[in-house]
Amino acid sequence: MLILVLKRILLGLITLFIVSLITFVGVEVLPGDACTTYLEREAYGAALEACYKRLGLDIPAYERYVNWAVGVIQGDFGYSLSGEMKINDVLGPRVKNSLVLASASILIGIPIALLLGIITALWRDKLPDIIISTFTIFSMTIPEFISATLLILIVAIWLEWLPGIVIVPTGASISELLPNIILPVIAISMIMTAHMARMVRSSVIQVMSSDYVQMAILKGVPYWKMVFKHVLPNALLPAINVVALTIAWLLGGVVVTEVVFNYPGLGRLVIESISNRDLPVVQALAIILASIYVVINLIADLLTLMLNPRLKSLQIKK
Amino acid sequence: MKQIYKVISFSLISLMLSFSLANASSGVFKLSHDLGFGKDTNLDAITKGRLFQVVIMTQNRLVRKDLKGKVSASLATKWSANSEATEWTFNLRKGIKFHDGSDFDAEDVKYSLMRVKDPDIGSPAKKSMSSVTDIEVVDSHTVKMKLNTSFADFPLLLTDYRLRMIPSGSGDTIGKTGIGTGPFKVDTFDPEGTTVLKANPDYWEGEPGVGEVHVIAIPDGEARVQALLTGQIDMNRYVPFSQKKIFDGNKKFNVSVVPTGNWRGMVMRTDTAPFDDPKVRKAVRLAVDRQELVDLVMGGAATVSCDTPVAPSDQYRLKMKCPQDIKKAKKLLKEAGYPDGFDMVIHVSTKEPTWPTIGEVLQQQLAKAGIKAEVKMTPSKSYWKETWMKKAVAMTRWNERPADSILHEAYHSGAKWNESFFKNSAFDKNLSDARGELNFGKRKKAYQNAQKTLWEESGTMIPYHVSKLVITSSRVKNLDDVEVFSVRWHKLKVD
Repeated sequence: MLILVLKRILLGLITLFIVSLITFVGVEVLPGDACTTYLEREAYGAALEACYKRLGLDIPAYERYVNWAVGVIQGDFGYSLSGEMKINDVLGPRVKNSLVLASASILIGIPIALLLGIITALWRDKLPDIIISTFTIFSMTIPEFISATLLILIVAIWLEWLPGIVIVPTGASISELLPNIILPVIAISMIMTAHMARMVRSSVIQVMSSDYVQMAILKGVPYWKMVFKHVLPNALLPAINVVALTIAWLLGGVVVTEVVFNYPGLGRLVIESISNRDLPVVQALAIILASIYVVINLIADLLTLMLNPRLKSLQIKK
Repeated sequence: MKQIYKVISFSLISLMLSFSLANASSGVFKLSHDLGFGKDTNLDAITKGRLFQVVIMTQNRLVRKDLKGKVSASLATKWSANSEATEWTFNLRKGIKFHDGSDFDAEDVKYSLMRVKDPDIGSPAKKSMSSVTDIEVVDSHTVKMKLNTSFADFPLLLTDYRLRMIPSGSGDTIGKTGIGTGPFKVDTFDPEGTTVLKANPDYWEGEPGVGEVHVIAIPDGEARVQALLTGQIDMNRYVPFSQKKIFDGNKKFNVSVVPTGNWRGMVMRTDTAPFDDPKVRKAVRLAVDRQELVDLVMGGAATVSCDTPVAPSDQYRLKMKCPQDIKKAKKLLKEAGYPDGFDMVIHVSTKEPTWPTIGEVLQQQLAKAGIKAEVKMTPSKSYWKETWMKKAVAMTRWNERPADSILHEAYHSGAKWNESFFKNSAFDKNLSDARGELNFGKRKKAYQNAQKTLWEESGTMIPYHVSKLVITSSRVKNLDDVEVFSVRWHKLKVD
């Protein structure tokens, strides 16, 4: 077990190393650099050299990579494009905001998804299933920029119930954020819930039709006792991986939703830094988002391993 | 009992007071900015990361443009030049206080303007001050600026939106405080969130009509439009023309189209064959249908220009017509020794989103004159360094500048950014004559002669100056219908 965990951690580190290498090389081979981008038509002579010096671009690329990598390992991402702001200070509030949005969406989305998934599976092909499944497929297929825009149009512009886009001060507290994130949370939950409900549904259906459940039914185990005691625990195991991927997506990938609603999270920072050509920040974000995926997947794998009795027994046999 | 009367009368008085205050400056005016400089955004007007939406409201210039584009008084009340126009004396407004309570005087002017020349700051505004060698403090409210050249229109340069007056010695803190003499004071500076400005009740032009201004960071263009639609902001000067129809006919909004001095163009290097022959350059320029470009690329929202970089609203602009003339273009090509036309490569990039489209339209238009143009995409990140002023034909764009500045910066034989490598002694002479000419009529003539030379010989094809769409909520009253730097913000009111 321990060796397996260590193996997974090592694999994760190698993935991160490769990601860091790809981002760094990618940025290097692009024509132009941070200084020519920042200075535009002023990029020549003394100003250009001063900029290279300030951003440390006057030393060879491999040396810069090592310096940068050592900094990242120590948790220091260096300075943003103009060299005036520490990237760590830029990231701090954004990470927090993304966490708030993700947690709110998870808290609302996951229970609803489980509930819908179970209902549709237990009443398979009956009216509740048909209604809910139509709805989930519908909200799964509509891209989020459309559902978000529709939400703004209906709730904010026509009904005037809620503010359309998020306007909060930098470093807003959670209580300042919460009233503003209702629409984004609905937009995100719609897609997330739909995906997960579909997943849970098929998983429950599979378990329900398995031999041991049929056996239990034949032996006269009460229906609801069987559902809660035997079906759900087994059906929800595969869902852990889906939940993990969803969480990772929520933390860094809800770029579109954050931009549409002007939400100051990591996703909007990705777009801002790319359009400002703030490559040091883009590099930092690439590493952070990759780490989120690696870490959360690792946790999910370990959880499945611990919860799944069959995998455990395999371990013991060895 | 007496106590009760006291309480009642006190509360009545305070109620009346609050009413009278509310009548003076009330309401909140909300606008957005695009956070174009990310975390480097600051309130120092002369730096690259300046948040101009704030400084235009908190700081004043010595002079500004009035609604007709002429130089008018702001913190300077009067100005005059010596007979050579090499020394300019400015009389300053008296009794003006900065937001921190200190008095505005000649030392502040000297400090604010000489800072622009500081190489350590590397201000993008330094060109406007490049002819100034020294500023002499004559007395507490008079300064004398000494120039290294004759310059009859020098006050026009001081209308540059970045040349704002700040307290002497405040250079290290101005980026955060934004202190000035303007109608609004900075209350909270939050570049990534909401920057709050409060009305300055002692403003010298009168108390502002709104109590607070919120300048809100909304980087995404779509989100800015949503914010305007939902009433979360009151003004949006970045709405693309394709979205104009959302607002047309909606009673909640006022839509206006404001011409600007910003232009796009195609540069042919005049030192590179075949464009070293003025006939070839003119043939290419004659083959262009400018109105078609305006319609196809800008959806009609631009003013046709005949290769003059001078803004449509500028008093020195040469007014002329330049319809497409394929016959004449072909004739010129024949004279130049290209009876069957020639091949050229137009270098574009997405640095400016309209360049590739302009390139494609030009390709079609030039083909009519027998010129085979290929449109080549180059990386936007290194465009200014590797493509512009390097390739024989490349696209360019410039923001509004006074006539003298743009003619010098883009065409003078000694200019660093002479992008077409244009060398014409008659043109240069017209410019220097204009600078030394204190008579307006003669000066205008000289600037227009220079523009005529450009029409005959220049290597830069300028099809149009772009217009800007300004959409405001109908709550907003008294907003001057001009470019953003000339708006008188203290007049603004919101219902």
